[in-house]
Amino acid sequence: MHLTHKLELFPDQKVTQMLFKEVKNAAELRQSAVEGKINAALINPTMLVNPFQVLVAANKAVHLQKTGKMKTRSLYSEIIFNLSPNNNISEAFKRFGISDGDTSVMVVLVHSEDESKLLADITARVSGQQVPVEDVSSLSDQAKIKKLYKVTPLEEKSGTLLDAVVCRMAIKDVM
Amino acid sequence: MAQEKSMAAPDLLRRAKLLKQGAEARVYRAEFLGKPTIVKERFPKRYRHPVLDEKLTHRRTVQEVRSILRCRRAGISAPVVYFVDYTSHCIFLEEIICSITVRDHIASIQQCDTSKDSELEQLAERVGQILAKMHDEDVVHGDLTTSNILLRRITESGEYDLVLIDFGLSYISALPEDKGVDLYVLEKAFLSTHPNTEALFEKLLKSYTASSKKSSAVIKKLDEVRLRGRKRSMVG
Repeated sequence: MHLTHKLELFPDQKVTQMLFKEVKNAAELRQSAVEGKINAALINPTMLVNPFQVLVAANKAVHLQKTGKMKTRSLYSEIIFNLSPNNNISEAFKRFGISDGDTSVMVVLVHSEDESKLLADITARVSGQQVPVEDVSSLSDQAKIKKLYKVTPLEEKSGTLLDAVVCRMAIKDVM
Repeated sequence: MAQEKSMAAPDLLRRAKLLKQGAEARVYRAEFLGKPTIVKERFPKRYRHPVLDEKLTHRRTVQEVRSILRCRRAGISAPVVYFVDYTSHCIFLEEIICSITVRDHIASIQQCDTSKDSELEQLAERVGQILAKMHDEDVVHGDLTTSNILLRRITESGEYDLVLIDFGLSYISALPEDKGVDLYVLEKAFLSTHPNTEALFEKLLKSYTASSKKSSAVIKKLDEVRLRGRKRSMVG
């Protein structure tokens, strides 16, 4: 169901993604996140193409945290910010973070070892149905994603949407 | 918070496979976020003043990734950038699998199968097209050789696409002189690596001229550069 990946660059850190549908308490979750009471990034899955996109954002966030160069205040807000193709922080939160009326949520945690308790904690707090993380591609709003990331028609022909998205995420600090 | 250089990339590279070492950078292969990845590490140059070295290395890294994105936006195939570590100057890029360099492809055809001339001509045409596209985006590659263009197989029937790699010396420029020099560099590399290919390269240039909107000025400059040698422009 959930997907855990050990970061090659930071071998003591793992990234776990959990996807939930039919979520009824998005507003409550969002409030908890704003208050810093949830140790996870709550992401709007309609803006995600593939779990790899989340890994790229998380890897960069951990790197920036370790080198003291984060642009936002916490690791989890940094993950959300890294998903954005531009450098406007509040816009990133609005578009990639969850909104009160959302019915699906992608939960991302960065942790060191045994995750079972952490996952159980999260699952308990989300009022919704956990589904396999790979299902996220069925939730993708491709039109919205193409528009926000400004993917050109030429690019779509020569590569995948995921390629276009990841490339922009990786290079946005110098574009 | 203290700004420290991350040792994460160097540590990863110690376990990765070194593919080649150049004057500028080392290229490794590793697994990154579950994908086969090429890591390009621009190592510190001790013969340079450290402050200058840092600035230059950083600038080259930035130019490289900008050029890649610029090309991709125009529909030119180039490796996807996954992550850039600006503290150790490492670029983590997509590894292009199922591919060979145009260099090896031409060499193998010339060695084994002299009946495939038309295939070589088609290849030259397509290279001309992709370079025209790149120059029309005002991207100057800076190190055009047949080793820096990959032929990637896309179907079993032999269809392929061309992928440009190694944008390490690339930059953005609209000047026909810079583009002319780019082609000149390719011409020298092409003719010295692949004997008896003057006609083939001519075909490449013809295709470039036909495909590029700004080609006449560029070809004019190419002719000028051929006469005098490159990088002697009086433009500051």
